[in-house]
Amino acid sequence: MTLLPLVHDGLIVGAILFALGLVGILARRNLIVMFLCAELMLQGIAVSLVAWSRQHGDWGGQMLVIFVLTVAACEAAIALVIVLQAFARTGRLDAAAWQSLRESNLPRVIDHGLPAPDTVAPRFPRLTPAGVLPEQDEDEVLHREHV
Amino acid sequence: MSLAAAFPPPGLLLAGAVAAAAASLWLLLPGNALGGDRRIRWIGAALGVAALAGLALSGRRLGGLGEEGVFLVVSGVAVVSAAATIVSRSPVYAAIWFALALAGVAGVLLVLGAQFLGVATIVVYAGAILVMFLFVLMLAQPAGLAPYDRVSNEPLLSALAGAVLLGLLTLSIGRLSGEPPACCQVPSRTAAVTGGTTDAAPAAADPGDPFATDHVARLGAELFGRHLLAVEAAGVLLLVALVGSIAMVSRGASVEDPSADGRATA
Repeated sequence: MTLLPLVHDGLIVGAILFALGLVGILARRNLIVMFLCAELMLQGIAVSLVAWSRQHGDWGGQMLVIFVLTVAACEAAIALVIVLQAFARTGRLDAAAWQSLRESNLPRVIDHGLPAPDTVAPRFPRLTPAGVLPEQDEDEVLHREHV
Repeated sequence: MSLAAAFPPPGLLLAGAVAAAAASLWLLLPGNALGGDRRIRWIGAALGVAALAGLALSGRRLGGLGEEGVFLVVSGVAVVSAAATIVSRSPVYAAIWFALALAGVAGVLLVLGAQFLGVATIVVYAGAILVMFLFVLMLAQPAGLAPYDRVSNEPLLSALAGAVLLGLLTLSIGRLSGEPPACCQVPSRTAAVTGGTTDAAPAAADPGDPFATDHVARLGAELFGRHLLAVEAAGVLLLVALVGSIAMVSRGASVEDPSADGRATA
């Protein structure tokens, strides 16, 4: 029995997703983005498992993916709570904010040469003014810039 | 044959594609050595597209419609949005790209014959987990792009590590025979059909055609038959995660509020 062509391609796609998730986890500093990358790796695993399930004509792979989904849901709940607690303590979603937990023989991460923020302001479509300017809710103005 | 001869050998093509993928990711990741203005990012994106094309070509064939064509489209969506997830500066955009990647993955699962899992991925991930992510992001994201979103840890080394892993995985997938090891041979589909055991438990034994109309019924029979204990364990796990997260949140609330008493931040 040789590998079915579709199964081969599915395994390749799973490998690509896994590798992309790994790069993201290694490179990014935002805790939530790191966690998204972990979920991306889980998706790569799920694709591989389903491909093997197809190859062998067996339910085992799909069963495993169901349990992977369950564990991922639990993991998301717990990890988001931990991220929120970390944010409440440091005010940042930065992984390097917790570098005091590193091994004692490792150097400290210091940001130097931080790139300037994008100076190009986002361009929104301009509409022809009509009527009077509505009063803007202070609360809404405060929250909109958080997105 | 002439078309295949025009291309470099698959190994070389694969190596080039993986190297292009690493270079593309390095150019796209925030805070690389080149500064990362818009032009550099466009070059990175073009390199990424070239890498994808190289990867697709270093597989065996160019075309095929129907199942193959759909598979190419949905897997392209999944891979491109996954790459956009990890290089997005804004975490909110990262989460939205991740939703698109999930849609692509669900399509891949559908083509591979896991209909229920494709739908479950959309419902559970895009519907529940991702909304939770966005909620936390809106709660915790400072205004504008935070400095830690504009830099990466070792972007070059990370991209190289991913490229090496991808190359190794692709090479080993190319050498797979598809034969399960001798220890765990399952009776093949044809043997089960011709063996006359169809009256015993045909639904639970073999998925048979992955596009069968009673796919979910068979999956349910397998899940609640052979894997019943695992289902119970998963239920316990969900309960423990629920209780644990609520406990952690409510303990954090008393720590978080410094106005309650003076020793709150200790």
